[in-house]
Amino acid sequence: MAFDWAIPDWLPPPQVPGDITMSDDLVDLGRHLFYDQRLSADGTMSCASCHEQARAFTDGRAVSVGITGQAGAFSAPSLANVGYLPTLTWANPMVESLEFHALIPLFGEDPVEMGNAGREQELFARLMEDDFYQGAFAAAFPDRPQADLFTITRALGAFQRTLISVGSPYDQFVYEGDRTAMTAAAVRGMELFFDHRLECYHCHLGLNFTNNLVTARSTMPETGFHNTGLGATGGIEEFTLTPRDQGRFRTPSLRNVALTAPYMHDGRFQSLEQVIRHYAAGGEAARLGQPDPLRDPLIIGFQITDAEIADLIAFLESLTDEDFLTDPAHDNPWPVDHPARSGAAAP
Amino acid sequence: MRALIPAVFAALFATPALADQPLTINFAAEMGGVPFTCAEGYDGIGSTSSTVEVADFRVFVTNARLIGADGAETPITLDQDGVWQLENVALLDFEDATGTCVNGTPAMNTTLRGTVPAGAYTGLAFDIGVPFELNHGDPTLAPSPLNLTAMFWNWQGGYKFIKVELSSTGLPVTHDANRGWALHLGSTGCASEARTVAPAAECANPNLVAVRFDGFDPAANTVVFDVAPVLAEANVDYNTPETSPGCMSFHNDDDCIPVMTHLGLPFRDITAGEQLFATMR
Repeated sequence: MAFDWAIPDWLPPPQVPGDITMSDDLVDLGRHLFYDQRLSADGTMSCASCHEQARAFTDGRAVSVGITGQAGAFSAPSLANVGYLPTLTWANPMVESLEFHALIPLFGEDPVEMGNAGREQELFARLMEDDFYQGAFAAAFPDRPQADLFTITRALGAFQRTLISVGSPYDQFVYEGDRTAMTAAAVRGMELFFDHRLECYHCHLGLNFTNNLVTARSTMPETGFHNTGLGATGGIEEFTLTPRDQGRFRTPSLRNVALTAPYMHDGRFQSLEQVIRHYAAGGEAARLGQPDPLRDPLIIGFQITDAEIADLIAFLESLTDEDFLTDPAHDNPWPVDHPARSGAAAP
Repeated sequence: MRALIPAVFAALFATPALADQPLTINFAAEMGGVPFTCAEGYDGIGSTSSTVEVADFRVFVTNARLIGADGAETPITLDQDGVWQLENVALLDFEDATGTCVNGTPAMNTTLRGTVPAGAYTGLAFDIGVPFELNHGDPTLAPSPLNLTAMFWNWQGGYKFIKVELSSTGLPVTHDANRGWALHLGSTGCASEARTVAPAAECANPNLVAVRFDGFDPAANTVVFDVAPVLAEANVDYNTPETSPGCMSFHNDDDCIPVMTHLGLPFRDITAGEQLFATMR
């Protein structure tokens, strides 16, 4: 029986890797792993520690912090519609699947996130001590009923692909045809967003308000990495070794953006107003009267009134999908006193 | 044309009715007569003879037909390849996401592939753009190539018919110098209640570009797209403040004044000149 994505007819489902078949058992296993603090070496962190459902699966911090207290370089991105992103992370164009990406927080050493580097056998053993996982891995992977790198990452990927958010007032207005769904201010803001004066939609466009998109109907994935005049070093240049790629980061989706502060790859902006004023100035260097030859050519600055900023923020707020933030299918499935919530070993 | 005649005879002997025959039209992109690649910059562009790098070079074509000796036009039925060609629209993609073509797609497409009824043809005609019936749909529902967000504006405006994005490197870079100059051709004056709502009636300025070559042999000739003659009087080192960087077809953008006429399009009260974007060799 084909997997039921439970999505509107107009929405194409995410692409799925060839080596898995989506199933309720696989998604359920992934959901349990996602919220399981025993996935970290010391039991203090789960994926949900940096990806909280109520914040559209971000954590409200400028940069994330791992189990050793080491701060990372990046702000945890939202996982809303993550299955539609052709690459993962802010600045690594080579991470092309959720399955591969999971290895980074699980085993990464710089920064240390969940701290399992060199300790994967302990991780697998820790999980399989739990009767729940003995049953869940067997149900999801009858041919290899065990916790290992393949099964853990495939299950986590499958669950994350179901984190689909298309129920905002904007979606109701545009896709469902309900012209009363957005406030007047949000509609005025939408006209500004899609206008050539501000040019927001040149990078923040399409289904997920980003020029990074791949769906089951795509014949070629689209990627977008831009230097938005932040004066930041790094970016995809660390992988491409091409000087013009310095400071280029992946365009984030703006869905649920009202919940995902602080903003930018390093969380430097606390408010949407600060973000808008950054773009209005044409970037940090322009604000300081300095040259910025690497800034994306389409970021040239614009005039905008305070009233227009308020309308634009109202539009961005209309991208908040309340149902997604509270959907019981995506919340913590573990019982309240369960070791998964405390990281303790199974009794 | 010589190649078509044996095919016609073969078709006549094979069946009572005339059979269709396959057809490939070859396209090439150039910058001022120099073959375009993503690996280099190009000199002599625009009124300041600037040096530019190109980030994107993609063009939609539609309504392709062959012209008979009697002037009659026969539509080319495009192969529905599931990637580049959909109904009577094709996306030609001259960038390969390497070098200066940041944020492009690795795959390229430089041909139009289809069939025509067997016959004697002497010329080729097509439009640059997407027809109204397909131009204002929802790309989340559309098949490829109409689901590429990089080629889309919004429901009201439709798709970018020509997407050529330049950044000029020939002048000193200062903090307020615009380095980006984009040519986005699309329909303007499309009336609908919001930018995310499709228009019910044709736009005031559909802005499809009619191209016609009375003597064109698909076996021997190539269609050449070159943005340099279109931009000959445009200053690609300057953008009028508070307008899109470059010419994005908008009515209020003075930067479009020297450009649209060379696409064979009227703009404000300026009558259309001869389109210079598409030539043949």
